[in-house]
Amino acid sequence: MRRLFKLLFILSVLVMLQACGYNTIQEKDEAVIALWADVEAAYQRRADLIPGLVETVKGYAAHERETLTAITEARAKVGSLTLGKEVLENPQAFEGFQQAQGALSSALSRLMVVVERYPELKADQGFRDFSHQLEGTENRINVARVRYNEGVRAFNTSIRTFPGSLTNSLLLKLPRREPFKAEAGAEKAPAVKF
Amino acid sequence: MLSYSLLGRTALHHRSNPIGGGFLLFLLPLFSVAQGFEVPAYRGYVNDQADLISDHVERQLERLLQSFDESDSTQVAVLTLPSLGGIPIEEASLQVAEKWGIGRRGKDNGVLLLVGREERRMRLEVGRGLEATLTDLLAGRIIDQVLTPAFREGRYDEGFQRAIGAVIAATRGEYQADPRPRGARGTPGISSYLIFFGILVIFLGVLGRVARLLGGALLLPVMTYLGSAGSVVWWVLLLLIPAGALLGMVLPLFLAGTHRYGHRGMPLGGLPGGMLGLGGGRSFGGSSGFGGFGGGRFGGGGASGGW
Repeated sequence: MRRLFKLLFILSVLVMLQACGYNTIQEKDEAVIALWADVEAAYQRRADLIPGLVETVKGYAAHERETLTAITEARAKVGSLTLGKEVLENPQAFEGFQQAQGALSSALSRLMVVVERYPELKADQGFRDFSHQLEGTENRINVARVRYNEGVRAFNTSIRTFPGSLTNSLLLKLPRREPFKAEAGAEKAPAVKF
Repeated sequence: MLSYSLLGRTALHHRSNPIGGGFLLFLLPLFSVAQGFEVPAYRGYVNDQADLISDHVERQLERLLQSFDESDSTQVAVLTLPSLGGIPIEEASLQVAEKWGIGRRGKDNGVLLLVGREERRMRLEVGRGLEATLTDLLAGRIIDQVLTPAFREGRYDEGFQRAIGAVIAATRGEYQADPRPRGARGTPGISSYLIFFGILVIFLGVLGRVARLLGGALLLPVMTYLGSAGSVVWWVLLLLIPAGALLGMVLPLFLAGTHRYGHRGMPLGGLPGGMLGLGGGRSFGGSSGFGGFGGGRFGGGGASGGW
């Protein structure tokens, strides 16, 4: 009988740990990290596309040197970023990541404006292929960012609401995660119409 | 269900040409209010709500996609809509694909071809498991070289037939259908619950009266917790404590009617009605008809275009 009570005690502690949200918080934190990996993968994919894209554009519009250099430089900056979980733990690194990727985004959109002036380039099959890949990648980045933000929201909610708030302040002491903010200038509609 | 309000700048998007449109994606704010788009219910692989496909081609495509699903387990769905309800096609197609769950769970091998008649936009949404075979590049080419020219000339039937053919050609052999054991599509959740339930009953049978009460009160929530891999909300478990206590008292009494067991414990044969076997007994009777989509996931891969 005594043994049984001991067993029951252990089981009830397990149940209580579940009830206080300990596991939930851990799970949501892991989910955020996994979602962050998706975000990085999507951005990496974009960075990988750029050299080929620049080459293709050069074939038709070599004298648009300024735009092309801007892209290459922005990509180099993205390539030098620290990656992985550390970015999430360091708000400055996170900020830097957002800025560098944002700079690459705007360099790319400037390129797409330039491209409009070159009908032969637009008709080129190689360029069309690249543009589809880039479109797909931008879409993936968007999806990954939105999902990351949703994961962050779920995590932040779990450490701010009872009973998770108590568990976190006593046991886990995890910081709040930062969501992506809309990129600067995104609130204004772009002036250029394709 | 998650909702993805990816984009807000819609008016601009409709008018954009097939090449430039997607590049605007990253200029748009992350969170915006979802507008009037509701994911329609599916009726089969081919859902021609905009009435672009003729009836006999629709039936032919339905059969083709059914047999492809059966042989390769890859699910290809078609949806045409009279209007996209004011949201960009990238967002609409992701919502539809995720809500329908095209493709098999774990394989994520689904493809959605979405066409918006009013906006004159189309998109191939590619599930995560197929992104390496049906790449954005290939999806883009199918749209540029097959769908766009055919749609421009109003040859919708041909466009759909050839595009679906190309999608199937690209993805064939990537996945194989699972061999169908009995009850292949039965949910594993139910059978594992029943097993836990069976263990609970056996365990209670061995215990004395007070221990039954306590044991039931603890084991039911604990087993539910373990059985569901931690995804149960804690208050549900709390609710299960009195329920378990009650079961602990009552259940052995019922069983005593069907099978007399002594103080030595209850043999497995004492379980009522083949309780442990229930989970495996579900079968869907062969391969007749559309069995629904399988819960595949999407990550935004694919390509869009317009005509």
